[in-house]
This record gives sequence, C-alpha cells and structure tokens, in this order.
Amino acid sequence: MIGEMAPVRGDRTAGRDGFAQLLRAEWTKFWTVRGWVVSLVLAAALTAGVALALGNAGNSGGLPAVATGPGGVAVNDDFFFLHRSLAGNGSITVRVTSLTDGAVPGQGEGSIAPQPWAKAGIIVSGGTRAGSAYAAVMTTPGHGVRMQYDFTHDSAGLPGPVSVSSPRWLRLVRSGDTVTGYDSTDGSHWSVIGSATLAGLPSTAAAGLFAASPQAYQSRTGYVLTLAIARFDAVSLQGGWSPSTWSLCEVGAPQSRLGAPCAPVSSRDIPRGIRLPSASGSGGAFTVYGSGDISPYVPIVDIFGGIIKAGSLAGLVVLIALSGAFVTSEYRRGMIRTTFAASPRRGRVILAKAIVIGAVAFAAGLAGAAVALSITGPKLRSHGWTPPIYPLVSLGTGTGLRIVLGTAVMLALAAVFILAVAVMLRRSVGAITVGIALFVGPWLVAAAASQPVGAFLLRVTPFAATAVQQGIQHYPQSSAVCLASHGCYPLAPWDGVAVLAAWTVAALAAAWFVVRRRDA
Amino acid sequence: MMRVTAAVRAEWVKLRTVSGPGWLLLACAVVTITVTSAVVAVEKCSPASCAVDTTKLSLTGAQVGQAAVAVLGVMVIGGEYATGMVRITLAAVPRRSVMLAAKAAAVAVVTAAAGIVAVLGSLLAGRIFLSGNGFTAAHGFMPLSAGNGPTLRAAAGSVLYLVLVALFSLGVATAVRDTAAAIATVLGVMYVLRGVSTLVLDPTWQLRVDRVAPMNAGLAIQSTTNLSRLPIGPWAGLGVLAAWTAAALFAGWLLLRLRDA
Repeated sequence: MIGEMAPVRGDRTAGRDGFAQLLRAEWTKFWTVRGWVVSLVLAAALTAGVALALGNAGNSGGLPAVATGPGGVAVNDDFFFLHRSLAGNGSITVRVTSLTDGAVPGQGEGSIAPQPWAKAGIIVSGGTRAGSAYAAVMTTPGHGVRMQYDFTHDSAGLPGPVSVSSPRWLRLVRSGDTVTGYDSTDGSHWSVIGSATLAGLPSTAAAGLFAASPQAYQSRTGYVLTLAIARFDAVSLQGGWSPSTWSLCEVGAPQSRLGAPCAPVSSRDIPRGIRLPSASGSGGAFTVYGSGDISPYVPIVDIFGGIIKAGSLAGLVVLIALSGAFVTSEYRRGMIRTTFAASPRRGRVILAKAIVIGAVAFAAGLAGAAVALSITGPKLRSHGWTPPIYPLVSLGTGTGLRIVLGTAVMLALAAVFILAVAVMLRRSVGAITVGIALFVGPWLVAAAASQPVGAFLLRVTPFAATAVQQGIQHYPQSSAVCLASHGCYPLAPWDGVAVLAAWTVAALAAAWFVVRRRDA
Repeated sequence: MMRVTAAVRAEWVKLRTVSGPGWLLLACAVVTITVTSAVVAVEKCSPASCAVDTTKLSLTGAQVGQAAVAVLGVMVIGGEYATGMVRITLAAVPRRSVMLAAKAAAVAVVTAAAGIVAVLGSLLAGRIFLSGNGFTAAHGFMPLSAGNGPTLRAAAGSVLYLVLVALFSLGVATAVRDTAAAIATVLGVMYVLRGVSTLVLDPTWQLRVDRVAPMNAGLAIQSTTNLSRLPIGPWAGLGVLAAWTAAALFAGWLLLRLRDA
C-alpha cells in the first residue's frame, strides 16, 4: 500500500525554493494584514496631508523687491560703481593695496568682524541697471581673490587677504562676448582665474571699480549696515574707453527704481559719518567705499522643500512603526520559526522582506509627495510665493521631480533600515525608538542648535537624506547663513541619500550576520 | 484600600524584577545628561550672541531623554498585551481602574526618580561647561543653581514633564494595546508636531500649534527668560501636556473597561 501513495513532493517542488516564491510569500504576508495596509495608506495620506495643511496656512507675507539677473534668477545687485563706458574690446588693470570692512559708524553694537564676502575690485558690466550681465575680479576679506560673473558663477584666484605689503593686481580683458580675469602679486607675473562668455553683453559696456559689503547679522540688533573701503592704484586702461571722467553711482538703489540705470551718488545716499566723495583719486589712485552685495538672492524660507520634508517625516513615523512590526510580529508570535523552516537561508528571507517593505514605502512616499506637490505648488503661488525668488516647483520641473523621487527613495531606504534594526533587536519598541531618534531627533536638534552642530548632523545621520528635498538653490558665494531650516544643506541632494543608503546597507549586513548566528 | 496597595506593590515587583525598566530609566538619565553636555559644551558666549537662556539650554537633554520614559510607559502595559501577561494581571486585580492606577503610580514614581537624577546631572553639566564658555557674571550670567527661583521651577517642571510623558505613553498604550502603534503614536505626536510647528509660516497658526502640541507647550516650563514672549506660560504649558496625559489615560481606562483583555 505504501508504495502506491502519491509522492509528498510533487512535480511542483522544482522552482518553489526560488527567490521569487520567497518574495511572493513575504508580499502575501504584508498585504493580507489589514492593519499594515491601513498603515501604509495612512503614511501616504499623512505625507500629503501635513504638506497640504502647511502649504494652505503659509502666506509669503509679501516678498522683497529684487532684481533679476541673466537667466531669470533673483539677485542682490547693489554696489558702489565708479565707472566709464568701454566701447568694444579693452582691458582694465589695477592694484589693490587694502580692503577694510566694518559697520557703518553708528550702526550695531561693538566691533563687527569683516564680512568674509565683502568685495572690491574691477567689473565689466552690461550696464548700470541692477541685474545686468557682468564679469568681475575682486578681493575679499575671507575668500582671497575671486572671479565672479552673472551672479551664480564663482571661481577662486590667489588666496589670502590684501594689504600694502601684500597687494593684489587684478585685470579684466574684454574680447567680444568673452571677459577673462587675471590676478598677480607683482604686476608682471599674471595667471588666468577664469573666463566668462556673457550672452547679451552690449558692445558698449560700463566698466570700472566697485565695492560692496553685505549686511552683518547680530543676534541682538538684527541686520547691520556695513561698509567696505578699498584703495586702488596703478589704474591702467587699454582699448575703447570713453575719454570722459569717472562717474560714481550706486547700482540697485533706491529699491523703488530697480529697473532704471543707477543715479549718481549724492551726499544724501551716503551713510551718516562717511564723508563724500566715496570715490576719490588722482593720478590713477582711488579710494572706493561701498555697501551692498553682488550675489544670487537666497531666501531664508525653503517653502516647497520644507513642507514636503515635514509631510514625509510625519509619514515616516508611520512607516517606521509598520516596518518594525513587519519583522517583530513574526518574532512575537513565533511565526519566524515557520518562516525559517520554510526557507532556511535566512539572509534571503531578510532580503525578501526588505524588498517588500522598501517597495511599499517607496510607493507611499511617491504617491504622498506627488499629490502634495501637485496640489500645493499652484496654491503656494497664489499665496505669494512667486518668481523670481520662488520659481514654481512642480512635477514638471527638475527640482520637483527630484524632490518627489528623492522623498520616495528616502522613505524606502528608511523603512529598510528600520527593518534591519528590528531584525537585530527583535523588539518593535526598540526598533521604532531608534528609528525616530535617528530621523526626527536630528531634525529638532539641527533646528535649535548652532550652525556647525546642525551641519555635522546633516552630514552623518540618516537625516542627511532630507538634502534631496532641498527646494531652493544655495550658493557658496552667498553671504546667507547656511541653516537646514532655511533649506541649506551641507551635502548635495543625492549625496545625502547616499549617506542614508550607507546606513541601510550597514544595518542590513549587521542584521544578516546576526540572524545567521543566533537561533530564531 | 488594601487591594490598591497590593496592586501597586505587584506593579512595583514587576518593574523591579525585569531588566528592561531599569535599563530604560538609566538610559533616560544618561541620554539626558549626555545630550545636555554636548549642547552646552559647544555653546559659546560671543559678542554677536550671548542672549541665551542658560537654564533652558542646560535642560535640552530632556527632549531626547523623554523617549526612554515614553518607551517605559508603553512597555508597562504594551509588553503585557504582547505576552498575554495582561490576562493574569487582570485575573489578580479584576478592578481595571485599580490595575491602571497602580501601573500609573509605579511608573510615575520610578520616572520621577530617574528624572531627578537626569535633571540635576544636566544642570551640573550646564554649570560646569557654561561658565567656562563665557557665560559669566561679567556678561550677566549667574552660575546655575537650583536655589534660584525660576531655575528651580524649570528643574522641578522638567521632572514633572518626564513623568507626564511616561503617563501619556501608558495611556496611549492602554488604548491601542499594540507596542509598535503606541510608541509610534507617542513619539509622532511629540516630535513630529514639534518639528512641523517650526515650518508653519502663518504666525497665528504657529501660535496655535505651539499652544496645543504636547511637547511644544510642555517644554515652556523650562524657560526662565523672556517669559512674556513665550507662546504659552510655563505652568499653563505643562498644564496642556497634563491635559493630553489625562485624556490618554481616560481613553485607556474607558477602553480597558469596555472590552475584553
């Protein structure tokens, strides 16, 4: 009789041991538990809902008037300009023997350290209107000699500050649309800093000397007006310079006349305590004073990135609980022994679970962020978050696509990370607490702590991944304070995700090691 | 009355004889003091910024240390549901309000003990580091001392804060019965509301969130300077957290009575 029994292991055994079967088993475990599916929907809904609520309640309160530079970017373009017109090709060479920077007399409390990005040097500009195309070579108190053009481009020349014993020679050469910047320590050995091709530079440009100093920030008095004072000599001009004398004006002032060519500086415009002329010189030597800045305008509120970040972190808390429970419920009920009996290669079980939880977290993040951005984008626009300071971020823009995809990847990696921690700890409470401490903790600390502490946390903790949600562009040459709460991250967007990925891979490897060594 | 004492003693024995609660209470104290030390060690009094509430700064660690007592509050009841122990507990103490009150009393006492250690250690760390970082009498800062009225209020209030967080967690865990859901709810309500409020741009709404969210309001008890500029007064803020705790415990008690274990 026994010989006639059908074999227990039928034809279908082949292939049943495969990874695809394992994946299917884990997927079935996930979607057949109603509470988990509800949690997943809740995570997506919270991601979208918190972002929508924040977007709804956020009015820009009126944005400042800013100039628009080449390419439509919002810019600070406010500086003191001692200029002549340059028709066609030509060059200007100067020696800078000093650059000092400090508070305008009567402003602020105590002495104010020189602004690292105060600047004075030479510039070839499309005009004296704020936002004109330009290329400039300058000395700075904190960043040596720089060549900058069209606001967003910056490259380094000779390092170190400038002084009488260590002067800096600067030269700009215009040839057609191309402006090349040079620097030198002695006026005979020159090196090229960089070269700029300025689209739309008119044949007759405004060129000359300039000085600017961005406002300093004091915690007690707020923003303080500062002034850069630079001494130039050995000014030498070649090419099509107009024979007229130098004229001085403040570009970008007053704010109400941003679109007009700059008006000559009068004594009224000079800060109290500074005597006219703010540019004086004879025999090729000049002293130029100036306040203001020539740089990209960086707002302090990252509205698009910030609301998606808040939404996704709310959703993440639910995903953390879900991911923890996906593992620990098996340990609690002893199900894990059945799972490992069915599939004795434990590493593959962990991998299959990771893929399932990663995929569902990715889907929740993608849906939540996409819904939030596509609804909130137009809403924010009607609430006054408008270009040029806030270009629309939508699913159709590179930034919007990066934010939505990045959010989904971030949530997927975070869920897998928690899964690995839960495998190691076997307790959901421990895994969830670790997860929330590592993700939400740095958020709160970075918002409250001083800038270096926040920047450190944003480099090394899993929270670094939120860099992918950056919604505004920051520039190193901007004098704006770099704070995460202002949408400024020490890491590039996808580098931050890579930090989280490293945590996830390390946790998975540790979980794999632990689960193989111990009993279930 | 005898029954209540016995129930409290039973809970105390449970807390004392498993290793988890002891580790969590130790973690609360160690994490609080460590985080505080790290924060006060880097805070410097510079000419540009020296307007710091040194007492509040020295109690920063409680924001992280509270996670440990939240876990404790969740585990005290959630752990029993996970293992089925709760059925034995209820067989021994059939009156559910007595059982819940006994748990609450035990949790409150041990959390207060750990909280006192955490808070005093943090203040000591602040006293040691901050005077070395320029927060001296010359700049108008007295060394931190629990004898100073506002500092004493902030310190005692921080201990109460930790106790209320633990009891809030106990209430939530009693209501939802699942440890994972409970701890995620507690930490989500505390931390995420705290983070989200910094991103609310409308000042009216931000004020509303800061007055209603348990962590935002509760931490007002730690402030000793510029009290008039706080979104909510110190004791009123702690009262908001107490209201959350009362609501959670009430919900837990109600559900405990209404359903089978």
